[in-house]
Amino acid sequence: MKQTPDIKPTATALLVAPAAILMFGVFVLPFLFLVVLSFWSQVPGSVGIVPGFTLANYARIIGDGYYLGGLWTTLWLSGLVTLLCLVLALPLARWIYAKRSKGLLIGLCILPLVCGALLPTLGLVNLLSPLGFINGALKSMGLIKTSLPLLGNIAGVSIGLVQAFLPLMILPLISTIERIPHDYEKAAMSLGATRLVVWRRVLLPLMLPGIVAGSLLVFCASLTAFVTPQILGQGKVVTFASLAYQQAAMVLDWPFASALGMVMLLFLALAGLLGALVSRGLGRRT
Amino acid sequence: MTSRFSKAMLLAAVLAILLFLLAPILVLILSAFDSGNVFRFPPRGLSLRWFEAAFNHSEYRSSLWISTVLGLLSTAIAVGLASLAAFGLVRGKPSYRLAMEVLLLAPLTLPLVVWAIALLSIYAQLGINGTLPGLILAHVTITMPFAARIMIATFGEIDPNLEAAAKSLGASPWQVVRRITLPLALPGLLSSTAIAFLVSFNDVVVTTLIAGAGWITFPVRTFSRLRTEGIDPTTIAIGAMIVAFTILVIVFGQRLFQLSRRL
Repeated sequence: MKQTPDIKPTATALLVAPAAILMFGVFVLPFLFLVVLSFWSQVPGSVGIVPGFTLANYARIIGDGYYLGGLWTTLWLSGLVTLLCLVLALPLARWIYAKRSKGLLIGLCILPLVCGALLPTLGLVNLLSPLGFINGALKSMGLIKTSLPLLGNIAGVSIGLVQAFLPLMILPLISTIERIPHDYEKAAMSLGATRLVVWRRVLLPLMLPGIVAGSLLVFCASLTAFVTPQILGQGKVVTFASLAYQQAAMVLDWPFASALGMVMLLFLALAGLLGALVSRGLGRRT
Repeated sequence: MTSRFSKAMLLAAVLAILLFLLAPILVLILSAFDSGNVFRFPPRGLSLRWFEAAFNHSEYRSSLWISTVLGLLSTAIAVGLASLAAFGLVRGKPSYRLAMEVLLLAPLTLPLVVWAIALLSIYAQLGINGTLPGLILAHVTITMPFAARIMIATFGEIDPNLEAAAKSLGASPWQVVRRITLPLALPGLLSSTAIAFLVSFNDVVVTTLIAGAGWITFPVRTFSRLRTEGIDPTTIAIGAMIVAFTILVIVFGQRLFQLSRRL
């Protein structure tokens, strides 16, 4: 069906052009430059860059256990965070969607998103530190004698990442669950299905696009997070993105930082591919 | 009986998840009132001394000023460009609409830290590293997808027949925009302005990479301090005020123009 436009094609093009040019020039071009830059090299001891073609940056990543170790930690950490976000977001999304004050609740859910990466993390430090909220409360209740180590380890970083990226899972879940008519659940229950069966046979299959989209968003965000891991990991948890950040902002070796960035893009592409395969495979089965 | 029990359990679980989601923000606000140099729970005393320190700290004050100016300028440009593009896409229905939407929303799905590394080296080549125009350009880019998404939804909800009716009654194109389209788009415009400003004001990921020594925003200053000197209670107080402001924007935005509806 051909839709009839309300304004002329030239007017449309003129309206769209400024934003399009800006986004192409400032957002897309740098990614293309990144590919090129990752094959260049840096003049040792300066910020000068030598154009050319070298695989040295990639060889350094593959050859150095430090970077591979960081990559491995980051990959399983991101997987764990994605799984935890999914488990927490499913009941929350189901609950919010049935509420009348849905708008305000969604607003509260996006709060960690619009507060940026830093401010919630500041609160988390005071929540998790040895003298902080959790340890202080547990001690005054007499449940523990010595503080639980919640900062400077994987536990703290995972808590921080799950908290920060939970909204990225909640929003796509809510937008898919909203398209499921309320009657479906009632129909299944009236036919004798228990809550668990309703989830497994009705809600989850219908929410699959949202689950895949949310998982990809959370995985991508965790894989490339560096503010939260640096603060809550206190330098003891090395994630891949914080290595890239150090190279770009402190060592000023931009070609090497670009190569690290390319590795992150590669794994994001793989995750995207996996997501597409999962939604296609499961979509065919049901 | 058992169904009521399981319902109560479910409610408790959901509330616990909601509490977990909001706990860091609540703790940030509460701990700003702690009187000690290092926050501890239970607090030894309550005081407003860190708020006082915050208002007297000239470095933080100038950083907050920079964040505000940067946020206002970037938001104005992003919402302006996004509104024009969204109006064109929704009313013009061009064949490239989907491709354009993907382009405008790309910063939501691609990793910003990787982009910022590339942008940093391009800025260095162009010599606009650490300048205000360079920062504004970057902030317009990261706020654009939020503004574009809200404005596309907003114009999609406005019936084009209203505009056509005004036109057939003799209104000039400018009168149609000013008297029909803009008033109807106002809730969406306010929503996208609010969200874009908050995103720009609170960004640390991109800004910490490309901000030079001359334009240190509040999140960037806090982040670099945090890594070298640990937590400064003054930043907690300022952070608490920013978060309180953010909550007010969201809650009032929701009440007045259904902020989250088009998100």
